[in-house]
Amino acid sequence: MSKYLYIPVALLAITACRKDPGVPIAEMDSPFPLLLPAGSPFPETPSDNPLTTASVQLGKALFFDKRLSRDGTVSCASCHLPDHAFSDITAVSTGIEGRMGERNSPTLANVAYHQNYFRDGGVPTLEQQAIAPIHDDNEMDHDIHAVAAELREEEPFAKLSMLAYGKPMDGWVVTRALASYQRTLISGWSRWDRWMQGDAQALTPAEVRGWQLFNSNSLGCTNCHDGFDLKDHDFHNIGLYSEYADPGRARITLDPADEGKFKTPTLRNITLTAPYMHDGSMATLEEVMDHYAMGGHPHPNLSHLMRDFTLNAKDKADVIAFLNALTDDRSLDQVP
Amino acid sequence: MHLRDPRLFLPILLLLSACRPDPPVPPSPPVDPPIDTTGTDTTGTLRITLVPTWEGEPFERFTEYSNFMDYRVTVELLKMYFGDVRLIQGEDTLVVKDVDLFDLGDGNVSADWPVQTGSWTKLRAALGVPDTLNYADPANYGPGHPLNVSNATYWHWAIGYRYVMFEGRYDTDPESTEPLITAYAIHPGMGPSYVEFELLPTGGISIAEDEVTELVVQVAVDRFFHSDAYTIDLATENTAHGDNLPLQLKLVNNVIASFSVE
Repeated sequence: MSKYLYIPVALLAITACRKDPGVPIAEMDSPFPLLLPAGSPFPETPSDNPLTTASVQLGKALFFDKRLSRDGTVSCASCHLPDHAFSDITAVSTGIEGRMGERNSPTLANVAYHQNYFRDGGVPTLEQQAIAPIHDDNEMDHDIHAVAAELREEEPFAKLSMLAYGKPMDGWVVTRALASYQRTLISGWSRWDRWMQGDAQALTPAEVRGWQLFNSNSLGCTNCHDGFDLKDHDFHNIGLYSEYADPGRARITLDPADEGKFKTPTLRNITLTAPYMHDGSMATLEEVMDHYAMGGHPHPNLSHLMRDFTLNAKDKADVIAFLNALTDDRSLDQVP
Repeated sequence: MHLRDPRLFLPILLLLSACRPDPPVPPSPPVDPPIDTTGTDTTGTLRITLVPTWEGEPFERFTEYSNFMDYRVTVELLKMYFGDVRLIQGEDTLVVKDVDLFDLGDGNVSADWPVQTGSWTKLRAALGVPDTLNYADPANYGPGHPLNVSNATYWHWAIGYRYVMFEGRYDTDPESTEPLITAYAIHPGMGPSYVEFELLPTGGISIAEDEVTELVVQVAVDRFFHSDAYTIDLATENTAHGDNLPLQLKLVNNVIASFSVE
């Protein structure tokens, strides 16, 4: 055998099994082919958590796995139901052992574009948000590191973790993967979107009139519910109560001027995400409309944008018809 | 080629060994910001030992005590962070440890910190977690790290840590013999409750090469409810979860006032 035979064999040996953790993430996996509505930007992602096919698949596997809870009874999807735009159908969600939460589980649609998380904005990133439900006593009452230890040897977790992050699954990977999957839950394919893009037949006349009312100065809905995601990324006290049991934004800022303020929610898929308000205290959109029409209950922090208005039955029905047109035509879940 | 050709063994062995399954890759080490050791070697150990007491006797969790207002009380959880620990000698400062967690629930607890040899007059630290660490991503900290979320000190519904966790039960009626039911939970954090303190042992702190210097700190748990400056009446001041800043500050200052060094 020629001594030159060693050269290709050695090269082959060096390159054949490259799976070492030092490989840059970009080389480990391909970017996730995220579908985006017309005109919407690609969501920003942290430098240590690019959106890849493996990270998203791993996140989805974790999202639907009940072993994220201490007794194996609750998954993320238990409170963020895919058929309800990843929100819950009860006022507050039920965690392990029947423990009740304190706030309504919001839709996860377009969380990729949020500037902060939870209804009081207490957490700045999706990665850090992922810790809360797993550790909260009233939700999963578990531990990200314990979850990782339990699942890391199993497939598809073991393979996807290596592929996405170049290492076996740990608590850090759990948070990154869950964030990745949630970033793919994009909403923006409703009949209202098609109508806004020029499809005049996409909305009925009643829905168009409802949109016009919604967008009017007399109702002022778009003062807060505006833009692609129909929200303003801000916190408001809408006079839901004169005395709040939940301090809202003030829990984070410790500023009494923020008491009773909660983050403006998106209105996308609003028909699917009942009940409404931060505590799920309103079961129907009719109740919500009535609340805004009366201008809210008195409160020192009541938003100056809250003002009473009069709606006749047809107006109200048309606005609600418009809100119904904000439901996506397709599933939010882009992962097969 | 022939398989019995010995010259083939090396390349085949090379190929086989290259393709064996990868050994397990350890999780990322916890991110621990570099400690300023002012450019010198760390050749000694400073051991700090916290000794919880109740009116001079060893403190025991779940034991019923009578506090300064004659309330019946138990303490069921007692954890605290020391942040930005430094040794001080005149104008010289040596950063010893960025943050450490002490769980006093089971009695005396110690931490060993490597430091350079030398003599120092006092130790300066803060009760709490420095901002740079408090607001970092907790998922970066692996098992064993004081900021690991498994320690159950992270708020999780907000970023940051509970600097002190002081929990138990109480009864305002000193004559009652009923079981203690009403709970108190005072958790400073998330506000200006990061307060510095100093410990000045009479003989100073001398670190010798390859030796352990122990700094024993008595923690008078009974004094958490009252100090020369502040009193806490559990009947009306029993809950602070990042909110209720006045109560947070009372507890933090009382805890600091409860420290004494031998």
